[in-house]
Amino acid sequence: MSSSTAPSAWLVRTVLAVFGGYALSAALVTGLAGLLAALGMAPGEAVVLTAMLGFLLYLVILLMAFTVAGTGRLWLALGLLPLLAWGVILVSGP
Amino acid sequence: MSAATRQAMAWLHTWAGVILGGLLLAIFWMGTLSVFDREIDRWMMPETRLASPPSPVSLDAIWPDIEQATQGASQWRLRLPTEREPVLRIDRVDPEGQRQRVDLNPATGQRLADPGTLAGTGFIFPFHYSLHLRWMNLGYWLVGLAGMAMMALLVSGVIIHRKLFKEFFTFRPWKKSQRRVLDLHNLTGVLGLPFHFLIAFTGLVIFINIYFPQAPRLAFAEHDTPRQAFFADAYGQFQRDAGGELGHTGGIDRLLDDARERWQGGEPYYLRLGNPGDAEAFVEVRRSFADHITMNLDQLYYDAASGDLLARFQASPVMTVQRFLSGLHFIQFDHWSLRWLYFLGGLSGCAMIATGFLFWLEARRKRHARQGRSGVRVVEGLTVGGVSGLVIATLAFFIANRLLPAGAELGGADRAALEVWVFYLVWLLALGHGGWRGNGAWRGQCWLIAALAPMAALLNGLTTGDYLWRTLARGPAAVAGMDLMLLATGAVAVAIARRLPRAGAAAKANANG
Repeated sequence: MSSSTAPSAWLVRTVLAVFGGYALSAALVTGLAGLLAALGMAPGEAVVLTAMLGFLLYLVILLMAFTVAGTGRLWLALGLLPLLAWGVILVSGP
Repeated sequence: MSAATRQAMAWLHTWAGVILGGLLLAIFWMGTLSVFDREIDRWMMPETRLASPPSPVSLDAIWPDIEQATQGASQWRLRLPTEREPVLRIDRVDPEGQRQRVDLNPATGQRLADPGTLAGTGFIFPFHYSLHLRWMNLGYWLVGLAGMAMMALLVSGVIIHRKLFKEFFTFRPWKKSQRRVLDLHNLTGVLGLPFHFLIAFTGLVIFINIYFPQAPRLAFAEHDTPRQAFFADAYGQFQRDAGGELGHTGGIDRLLDDARERWQGGEPYYLRLGNPGDAEAFVEVRRSFADHITMNLDQLYYDAASGDLLARFQASPVMTVQRFLSGLHFIQFDHWSLRWLYFLGGLSGCAMIATGFLFWLEARRKRHARQGRSGVRVVEGLTVGGVSGLVIATLAFFIANRLLPAGAELGGADRAALEVWVFYLVWLLALGHGGWRGNGAWRGQCWLIAALAPMAALLNGLTTGDYLWRTLARGPAAVAGMDLMLLATGAVAVAIARRLPRAGAAAKANANG
């Protein structure tokens, strides 16, 4: 195992993966639904489609979060990115 | 697949398993029982052991009884009797928000006595998806986390298993018991892999609205309330304001016949009166799920007085996919062999989770004892409580159902609540026993299961007269099935308990068979 195997490092990784990963998945679900609706898909259909896929997306994010080496990229992808994404969504929503 | 990746997957699999395995097992156990929740209802509510309903049921003939049963309710809905649930079931909500279930005999309209129990559909099934933790939907979120963890556990399990298979010879020095437990864990995992994964995924899909509540935010951005706009779009829900004038309800049976015609033979299962007593009253009829997997959304709305069709809502294609996936999980369709397969799949899932715990305990026991760590002790106590303790608590729930007198009350808790108290208290006791005795608790709890399970079956006979030899001869089949499963549980518990003192016998820890 690499040097960052202290329990605290794994705890940070777990929190980022579970909560940051969920925030990122939810942002992608909302964003993709909006995109598909803008491209002409019936909006109700788009929401249901992306929401169903959202669980599989979250699964992939979870697994990747635990395999990527080092925590730098993790903080960007699962900390900063979801914050930015949700900021954009909240601003462009009603 | 690099070694680092496989190691990470092994770490993830181990820790997700140890931390969330107990929760997963409880969800899987309750889910497995929920496959037969309506049969458990028949066993726990003897007044509902009616003969199969006349078909089709005439609602007009008993409409006065229905009106009486729904008087004063702010909302109500009724479910037409089926083979699995031979009563006319009314669920009503009072203006104060109190929920109540009222059952009528569909042939005579007679109101059945208050069952005084939540039974399978009221306790076991909701435990499965919400853990009865309603505060801020905490239960739903925990179940959702467990569902995601299950999928991650399965994928990571496959990834590390493939390596394990290649490195088979490395694991030979392990004790026999560890090898056997691991074998069973891998067997139930691999054989049931499509089932376990689909069950976890479809379970999550059912609750897209809880787990992705913000999903409609951009797609429905032009509405003030995107979420409500989404519900109206995707789920229908005809609405019409009450006019304030009194109205009457014309015949209902003709509406049901019209519905059958429009559904080309499909049967109604659900009926609701909107704006009851008003001139703007309407009847909503929903189509039964019994003859296909998809939990269809094909709702018909009729004017209550004239019987004219006001609206019909049918789900769109993608929504139908979501309803199909939900249907794969809910199994509301009539197919007994498939239902039993789901039950066996659920049991194999319970075995998979339990053997995972046992494997971890065996693998860590020596190391923790050497290092003076208490992790194994804690997990051991929780495992005993979570596996055999869960079964014991369930049996105590059934036994309390047979022993508590009607109208029983204690400290403000009604009979149904008392049964639930028994479940949780016995579970707590089993956890405590496991924490105190550790590995030695298994045997005692197995013997307890072996005693309690047939006792429950006997109590059914003693308190209702429906002894197993009678129900096997003349039914109801649901009650006979439940008694048989109880006896089978007892038999399996005896078989396991007798093997436990021997060194390798902690392998088959799934005490419910």
